[in-house]
Amino acid sequence: MDELLENIATCIEFGKINTGSPFPPDMRGKKGADEYTREALDAGINPHTVLTRGLMVGMDKVGKKFRENKVFVPQVLMSAKAMNTAMEHLMPFFYSGDISAKGTFIIGTVFGDLHDIGKNLVAMMLKGNGWNVIDLGMDVATDTFLKTLEGHPGAVVGLSALLTTTMANMHQIVERIKEKKPQTIVAIGGAPVTQDFCDKIGADIYSPDPQGLLEDLDNKLFAR
Amino acid sequence: MKDIMTGQERIRKAMRREATDRVPWVPFVGVHGGYLLGIAADEYLKNSEAIARGVGKAIELYQPDGIPVVFDLQVEAEALGCKVQWSKDNPPAVISHPLAEGKSPKDLPELDAGSGRIPVCLEATRRLRETYPEHALYGLITGPFTLALHLAGTNIFMQMMEAPNEVNALLEFCHDITCKMAGWYMDAGCDVIAVVDPMTSQIDPASFEQFVFPPVTRLFEMIRNRDRLSSFFVCGYAQQNIPAMCACRPDNISIDENIPLEYVRKVAEKHGISFGGNLKLTSVLSMGTPGEVEIHALETLEEGGDVGFIMAPGCDLVMGTPPENLQAVTRILADPYHREFVKTVRSAKVEEEVPDLTDHWNADKVVIDIITLDSSSCAPCQYMVEAMELAARPYGDKAECNEYSIKTREGLQMMSALGVKNVPVTVMDGEILFVSQIPPARNIEKAIQKKLRDKKLL
Repeated sequence: MDELLENIATCIEFGKINTGSPFPPDMRGKKGADEYTREALDAGINPHTVLTRGLMVGMDKVGKKFRENKVFVPQVLMSAKAMNTAMEHLMPFFYSGDISAKGTFIIGTVFGDLHDIGKNLVAMMLKGNGWNVIDLGMDVATDTFLKTLEGHPGAVVGLSALLTTTMANMHQIVERIKEKKPQTIVAIGGAPVTQDFCDKIGADIYSPDPQGLLEDLDNKLFAR
Repeated sequence: MKDIMTGQERIRKAMRREATDRVPWVPFVGVHGGYLLGIAADEYLKNSEAIARGVGKAIELYQPDGIPVVFDLQVEAEALGCKVQWSKDNPPAVISHPLAEGKSPKDLPELDAGSGRIPVCLEATRRLRETYPEHALYGLITGPFTLALHLAGTNIFMQMMEAPNEVNALLEFCHDITCKMAGWYMDAGCDVIAVVDPMTSQIDPASFEQFVFPPVTRLFEMIRNRDRLSSFFVCGYAQQNIPAMCACRPDNISIDENIPLEYVRKVAEKHGISFGGNLKLTSVLSMGTPGEVEIHALETLEEGGDVGFIMAPGCDLVMGTPPENLQAVTRILADPYHREFVKTVRSAKVEEEVPDLTDHWNADKVVIDIITLDSSSCAPCQYMVEAMELAARPYGDKAECNEYSIKTREGLQMMSALGVKNVPVTVMDGEILFVSQIPPARNIEKAIQKKLRDKKLL
């Protein structure tokens, strides 16, 4: 069982999707996250164990390497793609209740901003870490965040902005959320965003990288 | 100090790592040019006459050595069929990627000098060339990797891993576009071609070498063959790729605040090329005070050194950057006395006590305080002290001149007590009267007489 889980983690870490995928070159022709996940479930390993000791371990490793500038966006996207493939095998267990998500995370790029690479990366890492992610896309209005929050009480909201001008919109959204749902945890991120800015606008979490967000979320949840 | 080089000469020499009379300054004015004219970004970037006026205004205000004509990385993508969304206070954003919608590069419109907004950019260049023959004009083109992302969307990141040959072919297509754009800008009169490729900050050095190095190196070679200069700009955290960027053999690399200037300086020196940057765009240039900008510019200057360094913001200036903040950068570069002043004040202890000046004033005379850097090393300071002493002499005991050098503790205390922010400055009975400029003798005399009359001593 351990070997299978380790293989899943390795495939996720290095972005090996399935036998046919050419990347990474040194794993060409070998099995990928797709096959190993299926095998693990067929061998009777608990789906929750597959998620936490296979997929999440791999995503955690790639997240740390990303933070340390050892890998970059293309490699992380390959890991996320491998993870999504593995996740397809696990989805039925989420629906049946055999696996429960850590929580719901509503994410979007704030209105006026049409940049989504960072937001997509964060969304993928969250999924790989066991979160139920609702991705509202780009250029998202304050009301859309609020409405989605209505339907998912207790969800965490994540706001992304790449432009200095749209950072101001972030401020507006945080204010409205805190006014309507003061208990909501709001996380912010994006190239121009800083901890200073986060403190100034009353957001709860800022992290320069997805891994930091995952850790902060775990801490906040633990504190709850 | 009188400038002895033109901006063009200063940039050319700095890019060749030769000595210059001072560090050159290139404010990356993009839609900020529209702000200076009170025109929204979406209007400004479509109008060559407005661009020429906006950049002209920036040249007057900031006295740069070089300046970009247009800073908009969507021009080529838009001309090739990407849809863009316009904004009032930013350059437009690309919102559709034709190659992700089933098209191939050969289905895209043929790019010529009349495509999209390219004629606007070229016409603005020609106008500026005519009006400003001595400034270095930068023609900014979208780098091949960023252009490829505009055309194909973010799937390109995964294609790099899964279908590298296709990505190489796309970059080859983008290389042809960059060569065309560079050629048109050079024909229109640009001195420097800046290849702006911010998306390369997202990839690892091996991918950079595989996909970006070949097309960009050939582009720089083409620019060099036409005896023009080249710069490679990248915004964002791109430290991992700096050595590979230098290896592409541009004349200059320019980076933003995400990368320590000291590191870039070291790598650029090793490759024998010049470098520029990395003034903080938002926290200091846009949101800081002129005083904060001066200190930041001074620190940046110290880190950059005076060989092969070009002072510039990290990237495209925020549209509403206060002009006085950019003028603060100009002051630090162009006025050695002011630079020295800022340096001295910076190193002073912040907890300096502000002295009580009650006993300093005197009902029987006018007290003339001259705050200087110190009159032996600062020529304007020396002239101001001499002018005041000469003007005060005829009034004997009724006029007292004191020089306070800010290199002393007492001088610094007086400076803060009198609210002085510059040197040399003359203060009479607590009123700041003459700042930096040495006034004509007649004006000094009038000022002394007025103070004496106020005290009924004349």
